[in-house]
Amino acid sequence: MDEILAYAYSDVIVAAPYVIGAYVLIWVALLIFVIIMLNSSKKTQSDIDALREAIERREKEQK
Amino acid sequence: MSNALEHSYNLAQTRQKWTTIAVIALILGLVLTTFDVIWAFFRAPIVASDVVIDPPAVLEGGTVITNQLLFSQKIFYFHVPVAIVSFVLIIAAAVYAVLHLMHHSAETDLRSKTCMEVGLVFIIGTMISGDLWTRHDWGVWWVWEPRLTTYFILTLLVIAYFVLRTAIDEPERKARFSAVFAIIAAIDAPISFGITRLIPSSIHPVLERGDSGMSPDMLIPFVCGIFGMLLVAFGIFRLRLLLQEQKLEVESLKARLEELDRQ
Repeated sequence: MDEILAYAYSDVIVAAPYVIGAYVLIWVALLIFVIIMLNSSKKTQSDIDALREAIERREKEQK
Repeated sequence: MSNALEHSYNLAQTRQKWTTIAVIALILGLVLTTFDVIWAFFRAPIVASDVVIDPPAVLEGGTVITNQLLFSQKIFYFHVPVAIVSFVLIIAAAVYAVLHLMHHSAETDLRSKTCMEVGLVFIIGTMISGDLWTRHDWGVWWVWEPRLTTYFILTLLVIAYFVLRTAIDEPERKARFSAVFAIIAAIDAPISFGITRLIPSSIHPVLERGDSGMSPDMLIPFVCGIFGMLLVAFGIFRLRLLLQEQKLEVESLKARLEELDRQ
């Protein structure tokens, strides 16, 4: 590459890790939050199912 | 089937509907932001910096480059939408907080809290991407300039909101105090947004013109980024709200079970 042209584009290589890092880290932060939420939701849903089952059983017993 | 169980199954149906909507919003948001990233990297022009090249460089097509090109500016297509969405979420939290103070409903408090939680995630995203840009362009990780300082204050206010919530036990008091605090925190959002225009000495980059001055090649990914991030935020907000509602349902089912045990 022409020396002057190389100088004109010299910021690309230096800045690339920062720019790509920013994109990746934002997605990682959002992804971690979503994964934690979905796991927690799954666990809470199984608690709800267990409680419903227990209530249904008690209601049947009391009838 | 008892009323408590019937209510629980009805809630589950509504939740199923909202989960589907949230997932669709997340997927659409992901598509739009991916489009934003691809366009920003491969189609959007690299803007010129202040550094003048002497003699100018000439590309094969005859295009003359007179200034060094600023690749780091491409962070703008992602950092700015994330920051705008963080402001939107904090303002939305304040709107729900006002509604809570007017109607005293638990639902508005829950929504206000959820907006704050999702807002904090977007604030962290803004801080990380902004810091990386600051490190490259200004050579330091942090500068106490007006935009960064007011945004840092906003971050501290949002963290303080959660500290306040954990410090108060009584639910109604907690909701009322938190609502007032959410409104106070939201005052900083427009200040942080507009500070670069209010204080001209600020070194933070700012769009000077009302019409943005961006070429379509820059405007299209930027707008896609904003709408994409808004959809992602909406999807996460709905999922978070569903989780909070599930937890409330667990409490009400536990109460029903205890009631049955006592009978």
